[in-house]
Amino acid sequence: MVKIISKPCTDRVTNSTPIFKMRLILKITIIYLLISLLVFMLGGVITFEVIKREVDFEQQRFLRERLTSAEKMIERRKLSRPFVRDKISIIPLDSGVQETKVHYSDTIVMHSTLQRLEPHIKLDVIKVINNRPYKISMYDLIIEEDDIADGVQESLLKMYLLLTFVVLILSGLTSLWILKPFNKALQRIKDFSLMRNQEYKYEHSSTSEFNKLNQFLEEMTRKMQKDYQAVKEFTENAAHEIQTPLTIASGKLEILLNTEKLSEEQSAMIISAQQSLKRLSKMNQSLLLLTKIDNKEFENVGQINISAELERQIFDFEELIELKSITLNKEIEGNVKVEMDAVLCGILITNLVKNAIRHNFEAGRIKILLNHKKLIISNTGEPLSIEPQLLFDRFKKGNQSQESLGLGLAIVKKICDVSGFEIGYKFKNDEHQIEVTF
Amino acid sequence: MKVLLVEDNVELTQNVSGYLSKEGYVVECASTYASAIDKLAGFDYDIVLLDIMLPDNNGLEILKYLKAHNSDMGVLILSAKDALEDRIHGLELGADDYLPKPFHLSELNARIKSIYRRRQLSGSSEMVVGEIRIDTKTLEIRVANILLDLTRKEFEMFLYLVVNKNRVLTKQSIAEHLWGDYMDSMDSFDFVYQHIKNLRKKITAAGGKDYIQTMYGSGYKFNTNI
Repeated sequence: MVKIISKPCTDRVTNSTPIFKMRLILKITIIYLLISLLVFMLGGVITFEVIKREVDFEQQRFLRERLTSAEKMIERRKLSRPFVRDKISIIPLDSGVQETKVHYSDTIVMHSTLQRLEPHIKLDVIKVINNRPYKISMYDLIIEEDDIADGVQESLLKMYLLLTFVVLILSGLTSLWILKPFNKALQRIKDFSLMRNQEYKYEHSSTSEFNKLNQFLEEMTRKMQKDYQAVKEFTENAAHEIQTPLTIASGKLEILLNTEKLSEEQSAMIISAQQSLKRLSKMNQSLLLLTKIDNKEFENVGQINISAELERQIFDFEELIELKSITLNKEIEGNVKVEMDAVLCGILITNLVKNAIRHNFEAGRIKILLNHKKLIISNTGEPLSIEPQLLFDRFKKGNQSQESLGLGLAIVKKICDVSGFEIGYKFKNDEHQIEVTF
Repeated sequence: MKVLLVEDNVELTQNVSGYLSKEGYVVECASTYASAIDKLAGFDYDIVLLDIMLPDNNGLEILKYLKAHNSDMGVLILSAKDALEDRIHGLELGADDYLPKPFHLSELNARIKSIYRRRQLSGSSEMVVGEIRIDTKTLEIRVANILLDLTRKEFEMFLYLVVNKNRVLTKQSIAEHLWGDYMDSMDSFDFVYQHIKNLRKKITAAGGKDYIQTMYGSGYKFNTNI
């Protein structure tokens, strides 16, 4: 058992994903933050190097200053014995030892107040003062690399966090303002309908890109509307123009039929030609109807008493039902009102009832059920020769009945679509069942 | 009966005027709005056949002109547009009937005669064919004073045959006359046959001649020459 339920085609797509206003700006912000992270990391290395260099330089200068004052002290005191104090040792050497250059090195010394080993910077030099060489060593606590690195890291991290925070907040706020014309344009495109022939005006924006976009949209929609109007007019005019030559041809055949001494065979040919013309004309009218429904020319929507319409049409078709000896079984709830165009309602019911009669057996059955929720029409008949889901397509016929155009159910489907009804087909208990849900 | 045909298509004009002339009408033709107004200003017609799409104006303007001049001519609109709104609009403007294209010439003839009958308010509503009298007001048919018991459809069918007497009427044309366009021909052909059979039976039972002749391969003819 196959059941196809066609969804009503809604013109405006339901808003399942609301416009996520942060999307573009968030992307840009994240990229920006990643780039700044890289810059901050490189900057951290550079800052560390610079600070370390400055610190080293300052420490060496400090030691050199102390060396100068030590030299002055040696000169003043004329030291002959070794002089050892905290962070300094001066040892007089035997004469003959050469003066050396100032030599800096790192060393680990027991810190007197901290009482633990700490890295120190050490200065070693041999100086000749008053013709006597002295070995001078002095050292001092240094600022460790780790401390510099920690400091640089901490300050940069805090700055980075601050930057992230501020950028996120500000970008969110400014995007609301910057992207406002863009979001407006989006909203307008969403609300745009070809059927409504409205002028399309976009607001001027101070952003050149948005202005270009708006201009483009304005031109595009104008062109679309123009083309649509042209196609619509062409289709309808063409359909109407076809009727006149059809009338002429059919009229000529009718006159020909009334000429004297036609053989039975000739008459039959004329009749056949006339029937083909009739079919052509009906096909043309049906296609025109489909186009008109598509073009929303049936917008006269009101409360239609579908019960009354159904009863009226069944009455009209009664003779035909009797002729085929069809048993009609109807359960029609009174005063069922549906919201749709009155003309379309008539066409919908005509097509459904006609369909049920035409594709029926001699002495078959038709069941018509109507309540305020749905209309179900079921009839006996030959099983479908096509896939059930193709049943509502244009020019698809369930059986190759000569008279059938294959447009009736396509029209029914279209009417259901524009009226917001659902239509389904199933084959149950040897009966074709078409169900319209309001 | 004088008929003015306002139609811009030459071929169609030929078809219609030829057919109606054979019916004994006096047919004049106008192919534009301007020429139609000229003729209407100068002459009187019983019926005006009006095409809506004219090269120089909308055919409905002619209808407005007629109504503005208090004309009592019958108006039958012939239109390529079979739109309900057009139909309603035309009838609201005072047209007597509306016939969408394509139409059968026999149907056109029947419609013209029907308008003509309705407008002859003072005249008799009775038509006489041989021994048969048809009253189009009471919808009664008498064969040599015997009232036939006919259904509405049988009456309409008989009237259609009589109005188009001595012409071949196809089953399709009869079916469309009786049930309109929405009834598909194949379905209703058997139906036409049934009605014709009943009608014949009722007429001959009342002592009438068997006027309805079956034209094999084509349709039926109400033949007064038998």
